[in-house]
Amino acid sequence: MAGKTVIEKILSKKLGKDTHIGDRVWLPTDLVAMRDFGGPNVILEYKENFKDSPLFDKDKVAITFDLHIPPRDEKVANNHKICRDFVKKTGCKLFDVNEGIGQHILFEHNLVHPGDVIIGTDSHMNLLGAFEALAMGVGTTDITGAMRYGKLWYRIPPTIRIEINGKIKKPVCAKDVILYVLKNLKTDGAINKSVEFTGNTVKSMNTAERITLTSMVTEMSGEIGFVESKDSIFTADKDAIYESKYEFDVSKLEPQIACPHSPDLVKSVKEVAGTPIDQVFIGSCTNGKYEDLKAAADILKGKTAKIKLIIVPATMNVAKEALKKGLYEIFLSAGAVVVNPGCALCTTGHPGILANGETMVSTSNRNFIGKLGKGGEVYLASPATAAATAVTGKIAVPE
Amino acid sequence: MLKGRIWKFGDDIDTDQIYPGKYLPLTDKQEMARHAMEGVPGAEKFIKEVKPGDIMVVGKNFGCGSSREHAGVAIKGLGVSLVIAESFAGIYYRNSINIGLPLLECKNISSIKEGTIISVYPETGKIIDSDTGKEIYRANPLANLELEIINAGGLLKFLIKNE
Repeated sequence: MAGKTVIEKILSKKLGKDTHIGDRVWLPTDLVAMRDFGGPNVILEYKENFKDSPLFDKDKVAITFDLHIPPRDEKVANNHKICRDFVKKTGCKLFDVNEGIGQHILFEHNLVHPGDVIIGTDSHMNLLGAFEALAMGVGTTDITGAMRYGKLWYRIPPTIRIEINGKIKKPVCAKDVILYVLKNLKTDGAINKSVEFTGNTVKSMNTAERITLTSMVTEMSGEIGFVESKDSIFTADKDAIYESKYEFDVSKLEPQIACPHSPDLVKSVKEVAGTPIDQVFIGSCTNGKYEDLKAAADILKGKTAKIKLIIVPATMNVAKEALKKGLYEIFLSAGAVVVNPGCALCTTGHPGILANGETMVSTSNRNFIGKLGKGGEVYLASPATAAATAVTGKIAVPE
Repeated sequence: MLKGRIWKFGDDIDTDQIYPGKYLPLTDKQEMARHAMEGVPGAEKFIKEVKPGDIMVVGKNFGCGSSREHAGVAIKGLGVSLVIAESFAGIYYRNSINIGLPLLECKNISSIKEGTIISVYPETGKIIDSDTGKEIYRANPLANLELEIINAGGLLKFLIKNE
């Protein structure tokens, strides 16, 4: 009998039996989450199908407001009210407009554990693989069904192994590493697969860095990403069977940037340095943690942004830490607009979207055509590269 | 068996193109269908002329990006009876099954001609040119569970039925 991959270990623990790639199984859910987008659709669907039937477990259902917060118009305000009324009626959890990005809130509140099956209406839910949870973004119908019955149909994915070795040197960071991986694997390189990151580069990463890696597995169309660390509970067996294996040496890696309009159109920042930019966004579920804001602050300290600079902490806890450690002083002095915690510039409908022909360097994870304003062009880079760009008004290599 | 006229699209069409983010607050399914494929460059003719029963043929990684189920709901709302792709992104695949919109993965389907009328058998994957009666492609058949969910009219009806 061959050894097991990480996902095979999680699944056999969860189901009490071994599974095979391609099998369909029903997974019991440990946490079912929805957002202010998706959430109202879920609730309407729930009422339509299940009337007043109770949730499978009110303590395992959570609503996180992280997209349009506070509500930008009446439609959104009404959607929030639909969610609030449902919370009052059912007793499920609500994380309100002040809290921040859903997945980050969930782990900050200790609702994420190794081996948990977690679903949410967010395609980057799988970043919780950084905590060894089997977490997935799903649509509203999956959420609605799981809220009532506490289970999810699932086809067992194959696994690919990505080994990354070599010591990265500041200002190169986890974002540059994952952009480099994307450059090589492309947007469908991990399609519907489980991804295991291993190698000495990732084994020494902290939680914030692991999240940056797993948050972009979705951009390779991967289902879930796990990052091996010395504290890992679930580790692959030496003789585990992989669909494919990749190896990267990042010891000489330079800062990377994804060019419009695809996350895999990756070049070294040096190659596109000097390109005029209109706006910089620092934040998102990929790079909105304290460590990310600190990397930006180190570059912005004592300087002024030449272009629009929008900074958004991932959560209120991150904002409080940034405030306490003097980062707000640096950002505000640099002329940044610091917005309340949330997803912010990951999609249209937020303050700060682009005009036709405008360009932006973003620390987020997607630069699809039109996603942040029709005719806008988005580059994806690290907080350090984004900050250096804000200071010069052109794409710049961080020092 | 599903029979319909083919409309073709390319690779990596993400859910933001299928259903732009600015319409996310909409909750009415018919209203959602009015914005289907609105962000896909060159889809104007399709949006104007698509008829109930028509079949979409797309490239690789269709439905990548955001998890919004609106994408599948909007396509279904247009009356599209089936989407055939080289490959689907995982969340889109689930969503489509869950709302009872059949889909099939088929290698090399991108080489089919726009406008062809085909007859498709999701249980076997057979794709037949309706004019010649010949099998022109063989898709991966849908797995039993997916077929059962689609035949029940979607996931929620399936769950209620099997309660």
